[in-house]
Amino acid sequence: MKRVVSLAVLVTIVLGMSLLLALSGQSFYPSENLRWLAIVYLNTTYNPYLPDFTVWSPEAVTAIVWDYRGLDTLYETTVFYLAIISGLALGRGVKRLNQKPTDESGLSPIVKTVTKITGPMILAVAASIGLHGHLTPGGGFQGGATAAVVPVVFIVVFSSFYLLWKGVSSQRMLTLRSAGLIGIGLTSIALFLAGLLLGLPSYVFQNIAKAGSPLSMPYDVHGALLSGTLWWFNLFEFLAVSSGFTLAFIILMTPEAEEKW
Amino acid sequence: MVGFLAEYMFTVIYLSLFVNLGLSLFGLFYKPHYVKKLIMLGILGDTLNMFAIFLGYRAWPSPTTPSRPPILLTYPFENASVLVEFTSRAVDPLPQALVLTAVVIGLAVMVFLIFLGDNLFKHYGTLDMREIRRLRG
Repeated sequence: MKRVVSLAVLVTIVLGMSLLLALSGQSFYPSENLRWLAIVYLNTTYNPYLPDFTVWSPEAVTAIVWDYRGLDTLYETTVFYLAIISGLALGRGVKRLNQKPTDESGLSPIVKTVTKITGPMILAVAASIGLHGHLTPGGGFQGGATAAVVPVVFIVVFSSFYLLWKGVSSQRMLTLRSAGLIGIGLTSIALFLAGLLLGLPSYVFQNIAKAGSPLSMPYDVHGALLSGTLWWFNLFEFLAVSSGFTLAFIILMTPEAEEKW
Repeated sequence: MVGFLAEYMFTVIYLSLFVNLGLSLFGLFYKPHYVKKLIMLGILGDTLNMFAIFLGYRAWPSPTTPSRPPILLTYPFENASVLVEFTSRAVDPLPQALVLTAVVIGLAVMVFLIFLGDNLFKHYGTLDMREIRRLRG
């Protein structure tokens, strides 16, 4: 009886979801045409003929994430912050061990050498993904998540205490993460503050000059495309995401001391 | 033939997403172990992200010719034809923008749930949900 009920619940949910999806769009077979909203985004993301609407970024996804729907992403960053902070709050008040890692701990010397070579390479790729997010696919979120792979690999290969002894402590990661979040906040109100100082109309989360608001972030520095606020948002989001995940991984993977405080 | 194959493979992938959805919901609801629930939650999130990506998919006009990636990288800007070609080939960017944040948020929520499981194990000595329910009260 119980099995029948559970099966009925699952079948109802799956069928209901498929019905909803089928009703929401006429057909799920991919067509050659796009919805008008997507065409508007693609048309304005990098378009010198529409200087009032463009973002000056050839990468439409980053333009949507940080310009068209920037406030949305700010609150998603808040959710990210809250999830990490509540995880840390659950792990508080526990004394963690801190031993000096020896040469015997961890995996074999071959693995350690390879990790020492590939670790900086992963970081370089992550920085490239994060800081070129306004030009090529990528951005702060993706680059930060890639950079957070490095501490996990080092903890697994060397020792749980390796990062702590190399100076990557949870306090420093917390500081770096707060710096990233403050940077995101400052970037979002930078043009608003400039408008207040200069007595010109401007908005929170403004990037490129709009009709009626002549202020604009520099989108072009000596022939290099910066896309206004996008580059700064990507940089600070990269810091916040990578250090947030590093913080969580360090705390999760450090063994606890036996007695509690 | 190519068109039929493309349609067939699309249908298979689409149906497999629903199978995935049912399996992950089954694990989430009826598997008693906390870690299994977490794994199934991850699969559920990935399945839903995949649905969103599918919404933004765009068919290549002629299935027999190989597709070219839409790249808009002529700087300084040359002429409008680049833009027209880009718009005619690029997929819908909005679902991708939503999914990319959802993935990172999902990872952060997963980290939180792992901390929660850590605490559960410390308090009860088990992660079996039936045992934890029995210990209550």
